[in-house]
Amino acid sequence: MTNIVVLNSVTHRDMRVQAEAAAKFGDNQRFVQVVVGEFPLLVTHYPILFSKDTETGAFLCGAMLGIDEGENLFLKEGKGHEAYRPLNLQRVPFFVAGDDLAIDLDHPRVAVHAGQSLFNDQGVPTPYLDSIKAAFQQLKPGVEMTKRFIETLLKLNLLEPVDIVLGFDDGTKRNLADLYTVNQDVLRKLPDAAVIELFRRGYLQLIYLLIASLKQIPVLAQKKNDRFLTG
Amino acid sequence: MAQPIQSVVIVGGGTAGWLTAGIIAARHQGRIKSGGFSVTLIESPNIPIIGVGEGTWPTLRSSLEKMGISETEFFRHSDAAFKQGAKFARWTTGADTDYYYHPLMLPQGFTQVNLVPHWLRNDQGRNFSDAVCPQEQLCEAGLAPKMITTPEYKAVANYAYHLDAGKFAPFLTKHCVEKLGVRHVLADVLAANQAESGDIKGVFTKQMGEVTGDLFVDCSGFSSLLLGKTLGVGFKECSDVLFCDTALALQIPYDTPDAPMASHTISTAQTAGWIWDIGLPTRRGTGYVYSSRHSSEEEARATLLRYVGPEHKDREARKISIRSGHRQTFWKNNCVAVGLAAGFLEPLESSAIVLIELSAKLIAEQMPANREVMDIVAARFNDVNHYRWGRIIDFLKLHYVLTQRPEPFWRDNLDPASIPDRLKNLLHLWKYQSPWFFDEFDRLEEVFPAASYQYVLYGMGFRTEVDPADNADTESTASQLLRENAAVTQKLRSQLPKNRDLLRKIYEHGLQRI
Repeated sequence: MTNIVVLNSVTHRDMRVQAEAAAKFGDNQRFVQVVVGEFPLLVTHYPILFSKDTETGAFLCGAMLGIDEGENLFLKEGKGHEAYRPLNLQRVPFFVAGDDLAIDLDHPRVAVHAGQSLFNDQGVPTPYLDSIKAAFQQLKPGVEMTKRFIETLLKLNLLEPVDIVLGFDDGTKRNLADLYTVNQDVLRKLPDAAVIELFRRGYLQLIYLLIASLKQIPVLAQKKNDRFLTG
Repeated sequence: MAQPIQSVVIVGGGTAGWLTAGIIAARHQGRIKSGGFSVTLIESPNIPIIGVGEGTWPTLRSSLEKMGISETEFFRHSDAAFKQGAKFARWTTGADTDYYYHPLMLPQGFTQVNLVPHWLRNDQGRNFSDAVCPQEQLCEAGLAPKMITTPEYKAVANYAYHLDAGKFAPFLTKHCVEKLGVRHVLADVLAANQAESGDIKGVFTKQMGEVTGDLFVDCSGFSSLLLGKTLGVGFKECSDVLFCDTALALQIPYDTPDAPMASHTISTAQTAGWIWDIGLPTRRGTGYVYSSRHSSEEEARATLLRYVGPEHKDREARKISIRSGHRQTFWKNNCVAVGLAAGFLEPLESSAIVLIELSAKLIAEQMPANREVMDIVAARFNDVNHYRWGRIIDFLKLHYVLTQRPEPFWRDNLDPASIPDRLKNLLHLWKYQSPWFFDEFDRLEEVFPAASYQYVLYGMGFRTEVDPADNADTESTASQLLRENAAVTQKLRSQLPKNRDLLRKIYEHGLQRI
């Protein structure tokens, strides 16, 4: 269950949040929704792909952190998150409600005695809370920018389904379905005017980051395979 | 020099006219854009659309897709809904529990193994369609055939549509005119201008003068203005085979706007015919198709009211006379008929719109280059269409000849004199071997494949003799397929959303193209 309330420095003065990455706090996610501003940070670690929202069918952009459902291969139990931790994991258990910051009081991260304080004795936000605010300053406009980027890709027929089949040393196979990436054939044949338009809007760079990130798929698979080998 | 065919003139709007226009124009876009070919549709501003057939076949998905139509837009503007097949209630014994399904998916592994003899030997307590295909359970559970994440025109379970023909035609009009370059002439056709050969040179209209063309498509509905009236092609009745000659159509609202909506057509047998029940998002279309020799109009109205419920007693059902049959030939001179102008059969298996699509596709694909070769194409077209109409008549009749119902209408249907010879022979043959893949239904575009015959035959309790030794070779494959079907059915039941919920999402969010 969730119990989301608007955060304020009086009622929540003594509240603490366990901020470290851990499966028990919900970091065990295979696919995390990301925004275009994160692409440069993501591309050195994760495949960035598109999937569909199961409720609306709308395209989402996300980073692949694992292969199987509930698997985040970058999570080291007790040692936090390897590499860049996507904003949508960093922000938990916070939300935005209009211009205000809100918090899910029922989230397992929320505690009284352990974790990061949100406010100091004078009610001033701590550096931790400031980092959450900073995350939302990127996320809020980022979601809108990412949506527009996806709309442009769809309009130009630049997305295509991708079938990823992976084999592992334990003899098992994974068939990753419902994922989409940039259609490079269509990209190569785009008329000049469309290419310039993409470049001016900063989309061409994003497109090449997406393409480059595909090289992380075998790396990710290797990471999983290493776990089989080391037990 | 041979006269090239560069200008196609379609007379009549409605579903037939606009689908034909769209299918031909989509196929010949290159030539239309370069100015070497044109499609013109003349539509009377005064004649209303009859709007038969609100049920379709899965072929409509590819027809619409090829025309470049967005499925989302089609759903939103044609009051369209999913159709996963038909449920035939009370056709065999007339009991409350008597029903069978004719789903749109083929039996599991249809091209590998014929499951019929295996099911006949051991049905494991399941009826035929349920044993071999997931769709009966999906329909009974009120589920949609896909998810909001499934791309446009792609299916999880095969599907067609129910639609409002009165909304579908204007939707097609807009697309054909704006996107496919079809010329739209709003005028009443008065007469045809014929050459000595009988060829139609043009049609005189009340408002726009003469409209000339090289090939004329008669989509003028029951009046069959060009093929019937101008060219004098006669009508071949089949009321000696199919007895229903009258329909009472009644549209009724749902109890609440969010009431569950069936994702299949429900056809319920009655004393002297059957009642259709088609779920659209905003209303249910119902109607009693009956034989006036076996029921008075008053009795028929009472029957329909009993079906829809007394709360609808103040609604007046619209009476439509049905003349079952088709033109003696379909393409004569430079004129070809499509839709009601070609013929009409009771809507028992939604054959009207699929026949329009198949005819239009054949015309589009085989568009004769010039007048000299047109007669060759016409002969082919006539051959194919005689075959199709004959097959459909046989298939419709099949629904009537396996009944145990006692009423005179149903007993009369068993009279051997009313059963076409080809069907009689097949029924004889099927006592010893079931229809399957390697059967005579082998045309490239068969309206009803062998699987359809299987669903009706074994849904209605027909028995084919089975030699157990003959089953031995395929026994293990067959039982594996039957197990797979049960597993797939379970999986789909847990995955698929409710029919109405998916439609609501399509209205709200739309389906993705990929």
